Amino acid sequence: MESRRSVVDGVRVAVRALVYAVVGGAALIAIATVASVLGPTLALDLYTPPVAAWWTVFTAITVQGVPFLLLGTVVSAAIGAFVPEKVFSRLLPRNQALAVPVAGAAGVVLPGCECASVPVAGSLMRRGVAPAAALAFLLSAPAINPVVLVATSIAFPGQPEMVLGRLVASLATAVVMGWLWARFGKEEWLRPPQRHAPEARGVKAFGAGLQHDFLHAGGFLVLGAAAAATFNIVVPRSVLDLFTGSAWLSVLLLAVLAVVLCVCSEADAFVAASLSGFSPTARLAFMVVGPMVDLKLIALQAGTFGRAFAVRFSAVTWVVAVVSSVLVGWWLL
Amino acid sequence: MRRRYGSALLLVLVGAAILRISAFSELYLRYVQAGLRPYLVVSGAALVLLGVAMAVVRRTEHEHADEDGHGHHGSRTAWLLALPALALLLFPPPALGSYSAEREAAQRAAQGVGTFPALPAGDPVELTVGEFSSRAIYDSGRSLKGRTVKLTGFVTHGDDGTWYVTRLLVSCCAADASAGKVEIRGADALPADTWVTVTGTWHPKGRLGTDAAWPPVLDATTVTRVKQPADPYEKR
Repeated sequence: MESRRSVVDGVRVAVRALVYAVVGGAALIAIATVASVLGPTLALDLYTPPVAAWWTVFTAITVQGVPFLLLGTVVSAAIGAFVPEKVFSRLLPRNQALAVPVAGAAGVVLPGCECASVPVAGSLMRRGVAPAAALAFLLSAPAINPVVLVATSIAFPGQPEMVLGRLVASLATAVVMGWLWARFGKEEWLRPPQRHAPEARGVKAFGAGLQHDFLHAGGFLVLGAAAAATFNIVVPRSVLDLFTGSAWLSVLLLAVLAVVLCVCSEADAFVAASLSGFSPTARLAFMVVGPMVDLKLIALQAGTFGRAFAVRFSAVTWVVAVVSSVLVGWWLL
Repeated sequence: MRRRYGSALLLVLVGAAILRISAFSELYLRYVQAGLRPYLVVSGAALVLLGVAMAVVRRTEHEHADEDGHGHHGSRTAWLLALPALALLLFPPPALGSYSAEREAAQRAAQGVGTFPALPAGDPVELTVGEFSSRAIYDSGRSLKGRTVKLTGFVTHGDDGTWYVTRLLVSCCAADASAGKVEIRGADALPADTWVTVTGTWHPKGRLGTDAAWPPVLDATTVTRVKQPADPYEKR
């Protein structure tokens, strides 16, 4: 009896397995056939020239950003792991109103584009630098370092006033933003960057900090690159020609363009130079806004300092940068 | 596994992708300009080394295995890096071509009319599209006159049957590309995006430095199909 039942059970299991195998196998074969026939054509249909161009621009912005992001995270991890707490508070004036311009001018020493400055500013805050001063550094570093200024002078040959205008307007914006933060900024907007073990020092902490900062910021770089590539493909640049007529509109338009195009600060002068239909002031605004506010920077700042901060800070910076370029453009250009 | 070695794996992946396009091939030229190569190689190698080192450290520190929980919020965003990394490793996106060139209203670099240095010797003399255009539009010394030149670029089409040899100009990365083009006369058009080398002579038109002089024209004698050059862009 027992053995008979177990035989019946065995047969039942075998039959069930067979049915599953046949039905499942048939389904798999059907799916595989349909996929292999339709897949390539579907993939080709989806891989239209705009999609291909999107991928190219997206990877280009990411590839372009990686070395600079790595440089920035190396500097920031080194500050975190090797620089004693007291150094910066001793170097910078105690008075915040004075510390802001000093930190802004110190932006000259970081020869990178904007991807590098966000993690460095984060590590400065962790090392006890007043947020107002660190933010002035964050804004000025990608705009006024020697590499960028030399690129600007090459892009605008015979127009040294363009280089000077860029230096003055960018520094002014950075310092004004630092002061505004010192006066109106609220600590709770700023989510200081977290770290597993803030007290750790030495080589191992350097490695862990580097890994954490690079991956964290890198994810946001990819997010920004995707947004920039989308704008690059969706908005044709020929739309711009419609707006070259009005001086005011053109300044605002190029300031918006700087935000959505996310051109690296070492290259934006060449792009500005090619926008030949626009007034010099509008082009100056493009170069002042670009390194301080763009989609990829907003994403990076949101990742490092929190979304509440990134939105407020970027919006105000944009306004200050536009006003400052208009004033400097009216004075110098 | 993913919790413990995920970050290290991601670093190695990104590093490998960067090395694949910069150290082991010239694919990086589709995305960024040539001068960035050393920085790409160094960062790619550094990322791979860092990833391996962090994996080794992790292995020796079993007790800290679940420390990852802290950085969890960040590490999820970090996985976005896998997207461009895998794209570069498996299906490197193509160089920008006629689609982008036609969208970007081709703009000529503004510069003053003046004399240019003498053209290099050679018949035909090989010029970039950018160099040819600026000499054609701005050179008061008319250095192109009487010379046979050779241009390389891809085909784009204009209205009413005109066609151009086009090249995208890039100063930093493909996101800042703008188009330069030369109208070709005296030869039949090829399909868009075909790479060609055209030899011919300059066909002057319009007054120097005005919009009428642009785009410059080349009377073609020969048009040959070529392979896409390693560097698909011209430096601005």
